Amino acid sequence: MADGAATHCPYCALQCAVTLTVPAAAEVPLEVTGREFPTNRGGLCRKGWTSTSLLEHPGRVTEPLLRGADGVHRPVDWDTALHLAATAVRETRAAHGPDAVGVFGGGGLTNEKAYQLGKFARLGLGTSRIDYNGRFCMSSAAAAGIRAFGLDRGLPFPVADLDGASTVLLLGSNVAETMPPFVQHLRGARDAGGLIVVDPRRSATAALTSDGAGLHLQPLPGSDLALLLGLAHVVIHEGLADQAYIAKRTVGYPALARSVAGYWPERVQSLTGVPAGLVRETARRLADGARRGGSYVLTGRGVEQHVDGTDTATAAINLALLLGLPGSARSGYGTLTGQGNGQGGREHGQKADQLPGYRKITDPAARAHVAGVWGVPEALIPGPGVPAVELLASLGQPDGVRCLFVHGANVAVSAPDANAVTAGLRRLNFLVVCDFFVSETAAEADLILPVTQWAEEEGTLTNLEGRVLRRRRAVTPPAGVRSELWIMARLAELLDAPSTFSEDPETVFEELRRASAGGPADYSGIDYAMLDRGEEAYWPYPAGSAGTPRLFLEAFAHPDGRAVFTPVTPRRRAPSGVSAGSAGSLGSGDGGAPMTLVTGRWLEHYQSGAQTRRVPALVDARPEARLQLHPSAAAAQGIDDGALVLVANVRGEVLCRAEVSPDIRPETVFLPFHFAGVESANRLTEAVTDPVSGMPEFKTSQVWVRPVAAGASAVALQSEGAS
Amino acid sequence: MSERVVVVGFGPVAARLIDELLPAVESGVVEMTVIGEEPVAAYNRVLVADLGVGRTSADALALADAASLVAAGVDVRLGVRVRRVDRARRLLLLSDGSTPRYDRLVFATGARPVIPNLTGLNPDPGRPALPPGVTALRDLGDAAALHAAVAGGKRVVVLGGGVLGLETALAAAEEGATVTVVHNGPFPLGRSIDRGGGAVLAASLRNCGVRMAGNARSVGVETDDDGGFSALLLDDGSAIDGDLLVLSCGVRPRVELAEGCGLPTAAGILVDHRLRAHHEPHVFAVGDCAEVRCPDPDCVDCRVPRGPSGLVGPGWRQAEWLAGYLTLLASGALAEAQAMPALPSEQPAVVVLKARGLTMAVAGDVTADPWDEEALCSGSATDRPRLQVSQWADPEHGRYVKMSTRAGVLEGLVAVGMPRTAAELVQLFERGAELPADRSLLLRLDGPEANTSQAAHDPARTVCRCAGISGTAIASAVSSGCSTVAEVSGTTRAGTGCGSCHDEIRGLIEKHFQSAVA
Repeated sequence: MADGAATHCPYCALQCAVTLTVPAAAEVPLEVTGREFPTNRGGLCRKGWTSTSLLEHPGRVTEPLLRGADGVHRPVDWDTALHLAATAVRETRAAHGPDAVGVFGGGGLTNEKAYQLGKFARLGLGTSRIDYNGRFCMSSAAAAGIRAFGLDRGLPFPVADLDGASTVLLLGSNVAETMPPFVQHLRGARDAGGLIVVDPRRSATAALTSDGAGLHLQPLPGSDLALLLGLAHVVIHEGLADQAYIAKRTVGYPALARSVAGYWPERVQSLTGVPAGLVRETARRLADGARRGGSYVLTGRGVEQHVDGTDTATAAINLALLLGLPGSARSGYGTLTGQGNGQGGREHGQKADQLPGYRKITDPAARAHVAGVWGVPEALIPGPGVPAVELLASLGQPDGVRCLFVHGANVAVSAPDANAVTAGLRRLNFLVVCDFFVSETAAEADLILPVTQWAEEEGTLTNLEGRVLRRRRAVTPPAGVRSELWIMARLAELLDAPSTFSEDPETVFEELRRASAGGPADYSGIDYAMLDRGEEAYWPYPAGSAGTPRLFLEAFAHPDGRAVFTPVTPRRRAPSGVSAGSAGSLGSGDGGAPMTLVTGRWLEHYQSGAQTRRVPALVDARPEARLQLHPSAAAAQGIDDGALVLVANVRGEVLCRAEVSPDIRPETVFLPFHFAGVESANRLTEAVTDPVSGMPEFKTSQVWVRPVAAGASAVALQSEGAS
Repeated sequence: MSERVVVVGFGPVAARLIDELLPAVESGVVEMTVIGEEPVAAYNRVLVADLGVGRTSADALALADAASLVAAGVDVRLGVRVRRVDRARRLLLLSDGSTPRYDRLVFATGARPVIPNLTGLNPDPGRPALPPGVTALRDLGDAAALHAAVAGGKRVVVLGGGVLGLETALAAAEEGATVTVVHNGPFPLGRSIDRGGGAVLAASLRNCGVRMAGNARSVGVETDDDGGFSALLLDDGSAIDGDLLVLSCGVRPRVELAEGCGLPTAAGILVDHRLRAHHEPHVFAVGDCAEVRCPDPDCVDCRVPRGPSGLVGPGWRQAEWLAGYLTLLASGALAEAQAMPALPSEQPAVVVLKARGLTMAVAGDVTADPWDEEALCSGSATDRPRLQVSQWADPEHGRYVKMSTRAGVLEGLVAVGMPRTAAELVQLFERGAELPADRSLLLRLDGPEANTSQAAHDPARTVCRCAGISGTAIASAVSSGCSTVAEVSGTTRAGTGCGSCHDEIRGLIEKHFQSAVA
């Protein structure tokens, strides 16, 4: 009989519990099944069902690969590989200083790797230049949460708390595609007619509101902030605000009330395209739900991935605070974390300005504590670095990063203005990429180091509700593959780094516990043994406590215990990308108006697609990118369903097929960002960022869309292949 | 280097200007004084009618707070009037005797209600002394008068069929007052709407309980023994009895102060595209009191004089722009100030009825009808693309839409009783975007079928999104023996994700066995 390992799915932050069964006979394939757990209740989506394909994939990198002068990657042994990397670091440091070496991490790394990566950057490489792809993901909601509550934990309550809610307002989140088993927790709200989805598209999630299950609000892309101010306006003016809660648990109400006085529903209708009646109805249902089974306000990337993403998330929090939701037993505000360890990955030092335990790197007490745990003088820890987009823009530039380590990220596909990022990667003196496949970023690397993946390693991840989970090893990794912990330990040795770097996950976790102790994200009371017993461990979990399934019930995390209202208002920004004479190869002035490009996700793929584009069942279902556009826009351009289209602006061009659908607003087009090359959506996005969080703008790029004649497309594809 | 900016008036537009200038005040670039005639800081005048019918509170209307502005370093003077402006010495003389000086003076004096020429009303616009029971619904005191009438279920007469009058009437009727709207012309909103839209709108207002008295010319007010309003007298000798008369006859820019110091005015204080008074670089005007018309006789934008819009949106945009400009001037960055792009001219106004019981939006030129000669003839009479008019009328159900377009772009629109259509049309109008060739798409937004997928009955459709299983695959699993959802899930993986499709799988199973029995 086969062994079954209780672990979690490799993909998103819902971290569905699975059992991975390793058959006795080698020729029988691995089998994954859903396991009963509060988040997924045994359910899995097709990404989860097919996740064993990643383990058995013939394209796995199984030995270090070095690029030769001819550009071809050839195997080298580990000793050579590590010495080359260490030499590149030494030479870069000597010639350009320690900040010329950079690290780019990922929200999919285990807590142990994320922690050790932050430590390796600061002590092993001596650089301040570390940031990670969570900057494209959770940074806006995190900044807003810290501003309002003094603490950022995606969901400050267990996911199952949503089950009893009467009203759930989902802003810019398509959970039915991105984390399907989550939809089970919306059943109660749907039965109560209280699921309210805000999305410019009639997404699969928006469709869940039909037949009386709720409301779908379809604002213009980029107008979410105005919509939220309108909702706050109605709550205040119709007397729906929880004044007792506001008086007892918040500060800043009068200024907040003044800031929304100018956003009456009819004005908001003009700004957003959402009928005034729907704005009023939404506010009333939220207030009504709070008095019945509970009301929740949840945000996703749709409202957060903007240059005003922090302000938009703040506006959502302000709305929740007006209604008295956060920190109450049956209501709340939360942000739906995206990547597998998007929560834990943002707590333990991968961020440019952060030390383990969600501590600030600029806080002298935090520095002293962490230096003590690491056994180094505090002065040895560098100061704050720069956020992801700035880091990537500096690649190969004077005073920029010249030698880069990438872990668990595929920036050549996932970062905004991907063409510019790829050019930056090519300017580097030395690029090291740790991955298990030759991703588009790895393809640019001087050195590819093959690493273990989900079912081949031990560790912990922290899911979207702040619960720490065990990842368990079920299969033996291929012979030439190493854990990133091992790689960091060896490199630290070669670079004569101070402190210690263990390759054993549990040892690293024990150190993480001590490093996080006393910080906002305190893990000191959690150990592997209790996780293995199946105990529920929600941080903060100081030693001697029982953890914190629900935050803020007594007080918020600011010194006075109160939540803070921060007034926010929309700022106008000139659209960039399609100014006169800038239509790229399309030529300008040939009629059609520029359209607004929203990027996003499909159920069948995950992030940059580096994994899911290698799973046959998923590729069969969704083999290529498709541009979703409205029938009226398609008709105006003479575009048929399935026809090839060129999508372009000053930054780049995408060639793909059209998916003509009434489920999108007429002036908006949608493109998933899971694909590479000519299908890569991020060739069109702009590397402008939110001034608070450093989040790029992914949802309001201006583009031209044109049909392409069959012959022309072949030419475009060929020239792409040659470049 | 720094400059003293004095703002005269403390309404919504002034509040926005001050907010935008605060960073410059805090950094010491600008010293600021604001002078407000009312005893309170700016509040949202747009919502005074809502306050009058008890739908909001005075607190919630506040747009500014004097104490926090003072704390931020602003010199705030409330309950004070400006008597005179001495431009030669750049001084103001205030009603409290003080004489603040300025480097830049901004008029944000707004507008005052037009008091119609009726016997029994004092027509002096400078000193309106209305009898008890007559109000123009402009400030907080007027709102209190309306509130007393509505709360007491009294009879309210609204004089004027403009958008503000209709909003007041509708809200008061919904909150329990007995309301009559008196307007001239055959239908309300006569200046903005077409006949069809006006007729449907009037019918809808009646359905909401508002009495409509059209084609009425009022000549005087009748007062009771205490001198309070008792009836509005019409020119046909009839009278409309009531307890409160709300005057809603438009507003007029407050320009007397500017006129008094010799600045050129027309409907409003004349300003150029940088909001500067003509030939006076130290004086500006924004909002309802300002009329953008530059001195350049060749300016295309200013060929057709357009008075102040009376809407707050354009004023806020002016305030935002002017704050940037004044900050540059104050910091001595004259070249940058000069290089700043001038304020873009405003789009024609969109009128959206602010109401709960019915929805209406109207914008642009809506006078053309579908059967007009220009719309029907095949070619174009001028070099411009031909005007096309589409119309949908369903008066029985209170619905009416008109779309006037050239080259697919809206020149005018009317939408009554169609909320989603109205919201979309206004968006399309404001962005100058092209309408779908099939205009009926826009009507269907408010239809019940808008939210159902056409593919709902396609057997090959995806039933389980999570696992990507089609109806056909489930049907074949059922044919080969699965008779429960769990069995179907075990065989196909359908229903193993979010579970939303369980009902549908159950339906397919039942359908199979029903047809087997039959």
